[in-house]
Parts: sequence; C-alpha cells; structure tokens
Amino acid sequence: MTPSLLRPDQPLRLVDTYPPSAPARQAIIRVEDLSIVFDAPSGQVIAVDRVSLAVAQGEFVSIVGPSGCGKSTLLNAMAGLERPFEGQVLIAGEAMRKPRPEIGMVFQQPHLFPWKSVRRNIAHGPRALGKPKAEALRIADDLIEMIGLTGFASAYPHTLSGGMQQRVAIARALANQPRVLLMDEPFGALDAQTRAVMQDNLLELRERINATIVFVTHDIDEAILLSDRVLIMSAGPGRILKDLQVSLPRPRSSAIVAEAAYLALKRDCLDLIRSEGRRAFEQMEIRM
Amino acid sequence: MSVGRRSSASATARLSVLVAVLSVPIFTGVWELVARSGIVNTVLFPPPSTVAVAILEWIRSGQFFADLMASLSRVAAGFAIGAAGGIVLGVLTGRFQLVSSLLSPLFHILRPIPPIAFVPIVILWFGLSETGKLFLVVWGVFFTVWLATHIGVQKVDHGLIRAAQMLGTPQPQMLWEIVLLGALPYITVGLRTAVSISFYTLVAAELAGAFAGIVYRIEIAQQNMQTGQVMGGLAALGLLSFIADRSFATLAERAVWWR
Repeated sequence: MTPSLLRPDQPLRLVDTYPPSAPARQAIIRVEDLSIVFDAPSGQVIAVDRVSLAVAQGEFVSIVGPSGCGKSTLLNAMAGLERPFEGQVLIAGEAMRKPRPEIGMVFQQPHLFPWKSVRRNIAHGPRALGKPKAEALRIADDLIEMIGLTGFASAYPHTLSGGMQQRVAIARALANQPRVLLMDEPFGALDAQTRAVMQDNLLELRERINATIVFVTHDIDEAILLSDRVLIMSAGPGRILKDLQVSLPRPRSSAIVAEAAYLALKRDCLDLIRSEGRRAFEQMEIRM
Repeated sequence: MSVGRRSSASATARLSVLVAVLSVPIFTGVWELVARSGIVNTVLFPPPSTVAVAILEWIRSGQFFADLMASLSRVAAGFAIGAAGGIVLGVLTGRFQLVSSLLSPLFHILRPIPPIAFVPIVILWFGLSETGKLFLVVWGVFFTVWLATHIGVQKVDHGLIRAAQMLGTPQPQMLWEIVLLGALPYITVGLRTAVSISFYTLVAAELAGAFAGIVYRIEIAQQNMQTGQVMGGLAALGLLSFIADRSFATLAERAVWWR
C-alpha cells in the first residue's frame, strides 16, 4: 500500500522532489522582462509592463494592487493561461507556454465541476493524470479530511456554502501535488467572517504543504497576514512598485493585525499605494 | 378573518381541480350531443362513441400494434441517429472555430428548410423504402439538436474549462466530459424540442407513402371515408407524442442529475 498523503505525525510534504541538501532559497519561479499586451477596441493595452521577479522555493508571495493593475494577468501568465508578448515566465527552469499539472491554480470563483461530488471534483486531477481510481479517491479523501469537510464527500457543489466550495477548489488544486500553487483573489468573493476563517485555514494548510504559493489580492491585510513577501503593483501599465519582506513570526493567525510590527508594515504599504493612486489619478486627468 | 379567507381560497382550489377533471368528459359529452343532434353530417363528423368503436376495432384486428411499432421504430431510430449526430457535430463546431467556419454556414442555410419540403426528393432518392422515412426524421432532429448543442457548448462556463486545463485534463476528456456536460442543460432542451419535431416529420414521412404506421392508417381511412378511424388515428398520434414528450421531460430532468 502506498503511504497515505496525510499522516498526523508528519507534516504533509507535497514537494519532495528537491533533496534536503539543495539550497533552501532557490528560485522556482522566474519572471523575466514580462510584458503582456491586449487588443482592445481603443487599440493595444499594456496590461503588464516589463515585470521581473523571482519567487524562492517554498516562499509565500502576495501580489497586491488596485483592480485592473494587471496582477491577475501576471498570475495567468505564470499559470500558462496567458501568452507573453515579450519576456518569459520560467517555472522550475521551464518556460510556461501552456498549463502544467504541477502548477495548481485557485480562482476567485471556485469553478467546481457541478456534475461531480466533492470527492470526485478533488479526484479529477489525479484521474486526469492517469492515476488509478482507487488511488485518486484516496488522495481526495485525505484532502477532504485536511480541509475539514468530512461528511460532505458525496455532496454536490451547489449544496455547499461559498467558503466550503472554495475549500474544495483549494483541495482540488492540491490533489495533483503541485510544486507551485497560484491563487487569484481566492477569498475575494467571500463575506468578511468567512474570509477570516479561510485565511486562518490557509495559514494552517501552509504549514502542512510545501508548495510555493503566489497569492493575488487587493486586500493589504490579507497579503501581510499570509505572506513572506508582498509585491506592490502599480496600475496602467502594470509594474512592480515595491518588494516588501514580511518578517513577522510564524505561525501567524488573524490576531496579528493588532501588533505594532504589523501596523508599521501596513502603514508603509498604504502610504505607497496612496501616493501611487494619486499619481495614477493625476496621470489620468492629464490624459483626459 | 384570515381563516375564512384561507378556506375560501382552498374552496377555489378544490373547484378548479374538479373542473380540470371534468374538462375532457364535458368536451366529449358536448361533442357527442352535437354529433347526434342532426345539425351535422355524422359521416364527416362522427360522435366520440363511433370513434371509440373504430379504435377498439383497430386494436382487435391487430393492426394497431403493427402500426404503432412501425411509427415508433421510425421515430426512435430517426431520433437516435439525428440526436447523436447533432450532439457530436455541435460539440465540434461549438468548440473548434475552424470546424464551425466550415460547417455552420451550410447548416444555417439547410436548417430553416422544413423537412416536409424534402419529401419529393426523398421519394426520388429512396423510393418508398424505410431509409427515406428515416432520412426525413433524422433531418428534422439533427439541426435542432446541433444548434442547441453548438450554443450550449459556447455558453459553457469558461472558468470550468480553465480549471480543467490547470488540472491537466487531456483534450478528449475535456470535450466529452467538461464541454459536453457543461452544455448538457442546453442539449436536453434541444432534445426535447426534437422529440416533437420527430413526430412532425413522421407525419410527412408516412404521408409520402408507407405500408404501415399510424399516419398511414389515417390516410387509408380517409380514402375509405372512415372518419371515425381517422379521428381515432389522430387521437392515438396525439396521445403518443404527448407521452413521448412527458417521459422525455422526466428523463431530461434526471439527465442533469446534479441540479
């Protein structure tokens, strides 16, 4: 019997391809001079403008910015869902041209398959990759336990609340044991209470998986709470303004928002975003 | 006062159920009275009792069962072939722009032509054979199902497709699971419309010349001035397509099992 994905005595390791002797902070994601251009009725729009960044193995990086700043486009390019106009995205040394199963993605909407039960939704990835049914269902059952939805295994998505659906979507993305997990405002559509619970869940989950996580949000609190590093993006065209290290101790919980170190960091972020917002606004006025 | 109002509302509901139950008997009774009153010619407008006798005779002679089977097998085979073709091509044209560019203009030109208009050429091509009748029913069903599937496939939530892509879903599974099931609510609507259409085209097919079938029996009875038999045939056709539509509606609700 293959060992269970979840063992209570041991943290869940979804990435075990790297030997422990490998340098700990090796970059797994490299974005090099990436530009993405869209065709719009009014001409071409630069969504992402010569962005370069690197994310280390095991790191949790958030990308924060106003709506329409190109942060989701940047994430889609990392997922292989968006073709670069210029530059490239390398994950584990390989250029992203199309989606790869070792890169998982959680969208703002759960996008669960409505015709599949929770269990079969989660088992979809392993089945698609050719794993035997029994093994895929075992992986699903372990993940259902991990996201705390035991008892809902055979429920259909429409019978679940928004928060539960999004937990299933996270589990579904984890079922392929991704080296990189991309999350595009995954809690953006949830109410404030559910969002706080989901953030704590994700912090907990993160202690048990070793995937590198890139998390897109427009919520600064969420970004600081969850991340090792916060990238602040400017709008029109999308560029990285600032790269902030979040050296708050872990394990964290949403209680952290009252601490001084946290507040100082948040003030820095807000100042930056405010001045950037003013600049963008003035620029827009000049253009008009 | 609300109690009184509620009881008067339930009295109205009970009355409307009673009226609904009596609807067909009242209609039949009036028909019987009018036909027997001597105002109309009973040869052309026979009373329901004559129609009932004709139907019983039809069943007793054994012809009814043969006619029913002939008609049902034409409808069923034509529906199955037309629906299968419509679904397969609808998924392909809905999903692949190139296939759509190749086929959609052609289909949109052929689709509005009523299948009945093809009767003359079908007789030229296939004579009075079963193939010709099958062709007409398939023709009617195919375009309805194709269009419903094509539209349904294009309306599949793009997020579902992206999610499936991210999970490494291979192309065949993407088409025949994600896209097909995503479009299923639309497809079942198209299939249900196609059930009625298959009966319309059956009429054209059997009037074009057949040797058994419910519509064939209606036509023969008309030639023999057996008006009771004609009406019995119409009643049988109406009942048959009603049952087919209802059972398909039930089936379609189950087909979209996750709702």
